[in-house]
Amino acid sequence: MARDPILVVVFLRGGADGLSLVSPVSDDNYIAARPQMLRVLRNGDAPGRLIRQDNAEVEFRFHPGLGAFADLYDAGDMSLIHASGLTDATRSHFDAEARIEAGLLGASLPPGDPGGWIGRWLAAASPRGPMPALAVGAMRPASLIGAKAAVAERLEDLLIGAGHWLAPQMRARLHSGFGDHGPLMAPMSELVGLSDALNALIWNEAEAVVKDYVPDQPYPEGNGLSAPLMTVAQAIKSGMGLRVATVDVPGWDTHVNQANQFDNLTRGLSEAVMAFWRDLGSAQQDVSVVVMSEFGRRLRSNTAGGTDHGRGNVMMVLGPQARGGRMVGRWPGLTNDVLEEGADLAVVTDYRAVLSQLLTGHLGLADPGLVFPGFAGSPIGLWL
Amino acid sequence: MLTRRDFHTRMLASLGALVMPQAAFATEMSEAATDEIWLNRLTYGATPALRAEIGAAGRLTWFETQLAMPRDQPDISERLSAARLQISYAAESDQEGHSWPALDELRGLTSLTANPVDLVRLVDWSVGMPYAERVRPADEVMAATLIRAVHAPQQVREMMVGFWHEHFSVNAHINEFAAAFFPFHDQAVRSHALGNFRAMLGAVARSPSMLYYLNNDQSQASPANENYARELLELHTLGAATYLNDLYANWREVPGAEAGAGEGYIDQDVYEVARAFTGWSVGDGRYLAEGVEAPRSGTFNYVEAWHDPYQKRILGREFQPHRGPMEDGDEVLDILSRHPATARFISEKLARRFLADAPPKELVAELAEVFLTHADAPDQIAHVLRRLVQSKTFSATPPEKVRRPFEFLTALFRATGAEITGTSNAFVWHLARAGWQVHTYGPPTGHPDTAGAWTGASTLNRLVDYAIEAHEDWFEVATTDFSSLGPGESYRDFVARFAGALAPGRVDEVVAALQDVYGNDPAALVAEMPDDDRKGMARMAVAFAALTPDFLLR
Repeated sequence: MARDPILVVVFLRGGADGLSLVSPVSDDNYIAARPQMLRVLRNGDAPGRLIRQDNAEVEFRFHPGLGAFADLYDAGDMSLIHASGLTDATRSHFDAEARIEAGLLGASLPPGDPGGWIGRWLAAASPRGPMPALAVGAMRPASLIGAKAAVAERLEDLLIGAGHWLAPQMRARLHSGFGDHGPLMAPMSELVGLSDALNALIWNEAEAVVKDYVPDQPYPEGNGLSAPLMTVAQAIKSGMGLRVATVDVPGWDTHVNQANQFDNLTRGLSEAVMAFWRDLGSAQQDVSVVVMSEFGRRLRSNTAGGTDHGRGNVMMVLGPQARGGRMVGRWPGLTNDVLEEGADLAVVTDYRAVLSQLLTGHLGLADPGLVFPGFAGSPIGLWL
Repeated sequence: MLTRRDFHTRMLASLGALVMPQAAFATEMSEAATDEIWLNRLTYGATPALRAEIGAAGRLTWFETQLAMPRDQPDISERLSAARLQISYAAESDQEGHSWPALDELRGLTSLTANPVDLVRLVDWSVGMPYAERVRPADEVMAATLIRAVHAPQQVREMMVGFWHEHFSVNAHINEFAAAFFPFHDQAVRSHALGNFRAMLGAVARSPSMLYYLNNDQSQASPANENYARELLELHTLGAATYLNDLYANWREVPGAEAGAGEGYIDQDVYEVARAFTGWSVGDGRYLAEGVEAPRSGTFNYVEAWHDPYQKRILGREFQPHRGPMEDGDEVLDILSRHPATARFISEKLARRFLADAPPKELVAELAEVFLTHADAPDQIAHVLRRLVQSKTFSATPPEKVRRPFEFLTALFRATGAEITGTSNAFVWHLARAGWQVHTYGPPTGHPDTAGAWTGASTLNRLVDYAIEAHEDWFEVATTDFSSLGPGESYRDFVARFAGALAPGRVDEVVAALQDVYGNDPAALVAEMPDDDRKGMARMAVAFAALTPDFLLR
């Protein structure tokens, strides 16, 4: 089945420690700034997997919990862009998230602009199909504020009164009852539209039950990211015209006890993404996944076994790009003179450069300026 | 102040006034519409009784009566002490070799009136018990939150308690520690809900649940843990609008800082505030040093040895080294609570909560001035709220706030006169599916308070579920009397009564919609219909009335 290309944005909420995801294990400053338990090690019981790359000055390794990502990287399916992020110097979660998801950076919001970068892409590309965008979760991320997007944990959450005897009456009321009311009219008609479209696909009328999604490959159990990614896979395969999906992964704000938390977080992330990727099967060729966070964390750890808010981070791109299995972009190093404000890994690659390349190279957008107004970065080499 | 007798006299008078000349109709309607706006903005949902009350007393008098109600009302205390919340777990054992038998019982909300020292055992790992026991206090606060929101007579205070719980948001299920002491966080917020902001800020800064949630309980020199310090500035006081880190790289550059009164803050201030709060921890018996443990008080505990005692500079103000216990932190709270940015930030959030998603700037400025003028008043917050409701804008702005899932649910229960039994917290799970996490929202921002966050298709669809099913025992938490009938009540009057309890302006529409479904004779005596049919029709009237703009917006 021919499918339009799809972008999946996996956002690690809380500011993931990029220096632990993809670690400069041989760097003396890294070694000096953190106790052993907050570092990825080169040997011992649980060494990180070596990352083959071109910079002979420094050795990078994946966190041991990211074994599945190491496999994807070695297979040439994943690229890493380190020292990337927001060029504005903010270490506030909510400020950084708002700026990243708005994607404006100083540009003012044009009239009628929905407000978020994904919303602007939807407006520019006007994809057809009943569900061009899906935000998995109960809340709409800022990147999709004002945009036509389904917001749901599971697709069946969008069926109005599924199986209830009042459902037809409720549906009719929602269809007509808000025609004169601004703030609710559009959302209600969106709900009715999605419910109708999904009803044909996932509702078994004869038995009055939802048709469960049966993945082609198993997902890890007890993993909070399995269900959200299954919802995305289901939406991709359902023929609803999905083009962009967002998935939030909470829990990365590791101010205390980072070592234990990170084992679970990284394993959960990489194993669920790997299951999703396998489940996609032949649809892999149509899908790119970008894993990102609002900022990285402080080079030097605190006294509570954790790290505080920092700046530069690593972005990870999984997909059919031509130059997978590489670290892309410059590595600035960790000496005092190059740390941002003397404290953090510097941001040397604008996150918009990475997303712009996904928009142009993968989604086929001609002018990334439509999505990131005023941004004129050059391609960073994800595609040849 | 209105006496109870005055109140009843006026209420009877207002009932007499229902027979009114035709000419007065238009004005009376608009008065009723304004009353409706006040009730739906300032309470967890209008009820027929409240409509009569505010109509009789007048809006401002009703509001003052609300403010004057004491924090604890006998009615609500009785309900809370009568409530029984289920607790159940399997027979298990832990890694230390403790084991416990299975349990499934209805238990009172005992932690709400417990002393802190009695709850320390819940975070003592030498005592074996299941997770459900350790986090039980948080679960009891959740159950109480619904009971209070639906039944508390002091509704304005309850709305403010809800506001501050969001403002000083704690995820009570982040771990067993935050959960065990959560009743005291609730009390910190509750005690000062209409009181003094500085007093509340101090109580919250010492609230064990907050200290655990934002990790300050582990913050010691050096480097300090910055989590609480950053959110104190950004979320509790000054607000993100005055975080100027992308504009200034040095404290001196921040306007006002060289004169000792920085107008905004940068990361250098965050680092210094974090140092000021090192040592602000909890008396939970933790290990402090060889042979030294924190007291087992279950309350705030200052650890002098963890404090970074040297000089600091915050918003351009110099702090001398080696000051007395907690002086650094308390001075930070003094500065922040009187900062004009804090006044603006709190005022804007209040106006957003009680008026509109984008409140007028002039109104916010006016409220901020009241906030600062009354900075030392024991009823500072009541002053700000009073100015808000007295503004012309307040009555003149049509309802445009989308009811958030919790407010939608409470308004449903209140309108139908449902009795909240509090036996199950299943409602917490139902609300979470709509995005509302009762005392368990993950980020410290609290839930968003603008329509865009609450009009996603899945969230709206959950409201449809609540409208249809909340009265079908689906939530295992409420019982509603759909059987009682007025003398000689017609079928039309019967369904109109329920529809009108939710959306007085939509009665005809709902009656017509029911007519389409059932085709009953409007004049038929409802007493002659089978009880199940009646209940079904009443529930349907409720569901139809709930899914109207009148009920969904406040």
